[in-house]
Amino acid sequence: MISIATAAPAVSAAFLASLVEVVEAFTIVLAAGTLRGWRAAVAGTAAALAALALIVVALGPLLDRIPLHWLALLIGTLLLLFGMGWLRKAVLRAAGIVPLHDEDAAFAAEAVNLGHASAPGRAAFDWLGGVIAFKAVLLEGLEVVFIVIAVGAGRGLLLPASLGALAACIVVLAIGAIVHRPLARVPENTLKFAVGVILSAFGVFWTGEGLGIAWPGQDLMILVFGGAFLLVGLCATQMVRRSRGAIAP
Amino acid sequence: MNLLREVAGELTKMFVGDAWSTAGILAVVSVTAWLKGRGIVPPLVGGTILFLGCIAVLVTSVVLSARRQRVR
Repeated sequence: MISIATAAPAVSAAFLASLVEVVEAFTIVLAAGTLRGWRAAVAGTAAALAALALIVVALGPLLDRIPLHWLALLIGTLLLLFGMGWLRKAVLRAAGIVPLHDEDAAFAAEAVNLGHASAPGRAAFDWLGGVIAFKAVLLEGLEVVFIVIAVGAGRGLLLPASLGALAACIVVLAIGAIVHRPLARVPENTLKFAVGVILSAFGVFWTGEGLGIAWPGQDLMILVFGGAFLLVGLCATQMVRRSRGAIAP
Repeated sequence: MNLLREVAGELTKMFVGDAWSTAGILAVVSVTAWLKGRGIVPPLVGGTILFLGCIAVLVTSVVLSARRQRVR
């Protein structure tokens, strides 16, 4: 039986990270559906989800064959690369060095791209819209698959982590169906910051486990690492923001 | 073919967003593995090196990226 305390970090990491990715995919699918027709957009999305399911089914048994400490080292290192990458970018965005991701702008850019191609007849299947939706869901979905496997594998938490990702999909689709426009109000950078903190903490923990380090307090150390990454991230944001202010006229 | 290239590019971008940061993380993990593997440091000291090394890489990569962006 998995306790809530064990599953909560994995579920919340999968949920928050998936929320960010699903919002980005939703924006593009919405552009494809609105401008090129919903039949193709839905078909492209379904095909991408099937491709992602195939990847998970193919990768799952492979992971079982890797010795646990090698798996922990591999996943831990990948989590460090991925999580610290997100945290670094979120700090730079929060400090105003890199512009924030804007879903409205992303929607407009996609609409311009799709608008350049001629629209299909009413009865014809719009391959362009389908391919655009397929690509968006596949590319963003790959990150979701990685995060779910990374935070879930090795501790038997694949199912809770998958449920966290699924919940994010349902939340985004439900809100998207109601508002029917890009979800520009989602605090994407705050979410990325939080996910970067959580994944970096998981990364240090797993890498250490893979190297044979027995952390004191075991899983509780993830919280300690998370707190430290959060503090360092906030301090780095302030530091960069202040030095930016000192240079700017 | 184009799609496969894009998928490969996306996967690379996932883990290698910033070359300095990637090299730094891999160096910290390698050094920790070497020190721990050779028995030069006790496991917990190895863990501390890993953790503080990652923090140092994060701060340095943020500062370097901010400086690079400003120069542009």
